[in-house]
Amino acid sequence: MCDTANKNIYLPYLTTVEEVIDETPDVRTLRLVFQDPELRENFTFRSGQFAEYSAFGAGEATFCIASSPTRKGYIECSFRSVGRVTEELRRLEVGDTMGVRGPYGNSFPIEEFFGKNMVFVAGGIALPPLRTLICNCLDQRDKFGDITIVYGARTEADLVYKRELKEWQERADVRLVKTVDPGGDGPEWDGMVGFVPTILGEAAPSAENTIALVCGPPIMIKFTLPVLEKLGFTDQQVYTTLENRMKCGLGKCGRCNVGNVYVCKDGPVFTAQQIKAMPMEF
Amino acid sequence: MQKYISQQNFTALLDALIKQGTRVVAPKLNAGTVLYEPLAAAEEMVADQLPRRSGKEAFFPLCEEIMSYEKTGQQVALTDIDPARFPETVLVGVRPCDAAAIPVLDAVFSWDYKDEFFLERRRKTTVVGLACTTADDACFCTAVGISPAETRGSDLFLTPLVVGGYRCESYSDKGEALINSHPGLFAEPSVAGALPLAEPQTEKFDLKKVKAWLDEHFEDPAWDSIATRCVGCGACAFVCPACHCFDIVDEGTEKKGKRRKSWDACGFWKFTHHASGHNPRDQQPKRYRNRIMHKFKYYDDKFGQTLCTGCGRCIRLCPVGIDIAAIVEEISKKEV
Repeated sequence: MCDTANKNIYLPYLTTVEEVIDETPDVRTLRLVFQDPELRENFTFRSGQFAEYSAFGAGEATFCIASSPTRKGYIECSFRSVGRVTEELRRLEVGDTMGVRGPYGNSFPIEEFFGKNMVFVAGGIALPPLRTLICNCLDQRDKFGDITIVYGARTEADLVYKRELKEWQERADVRLVKTVDPGGDGPEWDGMVGFVPTILGEAAPSAENTIALVCGPPIMIKFTLPVLEKLGFTDQQVYTTLENRMKCGLGKCGRCNVGNVYVCKDGPVFTAQQIKAMPMEF
Repeated sequence: MQKYISQQNFTALLDALIKQGTRVVAPKLNAGTVLYEPLAAAEEMVADQLPRRSGKEAFFPLCEEIMSYEKTGQQVALTDIDPARFPETVLVGVRPCDAAAIPVLDAVFSWDYKDEFFLERRRKTTVVGLACTTADDACFCTAVGISPAETRGSDLFLTPLVVGGYRCESYSDKGEALINSHPGLFAEPSVAGALPLAEPQTEKFDLKKVKAWLDEHFEDPAWDSIATRCVGCGACAFVCPACHCFDIVDEGTEKKGKRRKSWDACGFWKFTHHASGHNPRDQQPKRYRNRIMHKFKYYDDKFGQTLCTGCGRCIRLCPVGIDIAAIVEEISKKEV
């Protein structure tokens, strides 16, 4: 989005943490506002794009931009604290400064989805890359047909965006199918029990004029693709996003490649057709 | 433009450049190892040995600061790096295998996003190549289509003559400007013959055939035997003139510190290791496969050439004796 000629492409923008939301015991969402007023107004991105987030002193970590570009003035990222950088990002409080580089990578071709039914399939911490698109679709609801969301996690506690799940559940124009793995349900659980691919098969959304968007751990994707195929989805109707380890996000540092495909430049959004053409290196 | 420069005047040229404040980087003995390093005087240059590491660090340092940060309360101030601080440099005595790798790196750092750390240094550097007259058992530049007299990547190219001194041929405005900066030191071209060029003892590889096999054999039992010995030390990538993978790390405390870009290697297990514990290249043969694939297929897919110039450094240095030339030759003989 920005003119990068003769500029330091590794220099992050500064943002202020405006809100800290605990999604699960170890997943946190940060709402970030650009400190530069001009950037706050003009920063644009597309659903599916990612950024490099700085915890100064620890380094950078790569996540998608989890908020929708239709909701302006801020961006959000959601992450699980599992490494050096994410542990540091977790220590940030409201008002603290955080660095952001981006937006990078390709995006969901949302304009091509206008007029179609949408089926979102996500597992665990993989909802954020689809949440940006879900909110994007909901903010222009009349441009889409049926919207189905199949989302599961290991346990109730591991479900992220609980307030939005509640909102989606209450909306008449969204079909939310939420599930937890067997044994992950508590006494109050009002969703399904079972693994995401199985529940998706039972929910059986029609493939007719429909786009499926799948995001989850590699094992979930592996078992979900055949279910979609059985439901009649072609590989061109199915999209996913990959998240390989990255450093630069700019197609230079050389680590996110899957075969000759650079996830940071050619992705992170791919169709199932593209995924199937790749070697198993993700 | 073609000229002749005597050995004496060549020394005078380097000394004059050093004196006027230009950074002159050339092969130099440092604690028993020849490396491309800034000279304090022309006499320090070692012209007859291939430096242990390549010349790429003149543009792509092993480790460099890309910004610094300082936290005050909840605010963080970032300090950018001013590319104006990169010195005007003349990189001298660059072997054809090293010089030929420079345009290969240019492609990476200039496609799409522009890495000004690399590109500004590139703009400010004049590359003076030197025809190669000595090859050892590990050299295989000719096998990957580069000649010991290859001028690609050089702004000015020196060919040692039997009578002493060098034939100088310029290949860019920068090369011409270097001659014109000290015209008195250069004479009209000599008719004297050149010293015999090095003759690496290797057959030319059929790189098209190598790539054709790689295109179809990401999964192949051969990979397990090809690099089963690799210990993942990363030395091959660090001495390679064409390897360019890097890491970005913070050095300092939460309050104050620097962010650095530093060399990395696809042979390291951590290179692709996700914080979740998942690693797409979880075994050493998969990492070595990436090295071969990147050099002889992926880079070619993207930029139309090979990411190897046959300098042989990785062969000389590998602690377990992995010979990339032998591997590529073997691949070139496989049925596609």
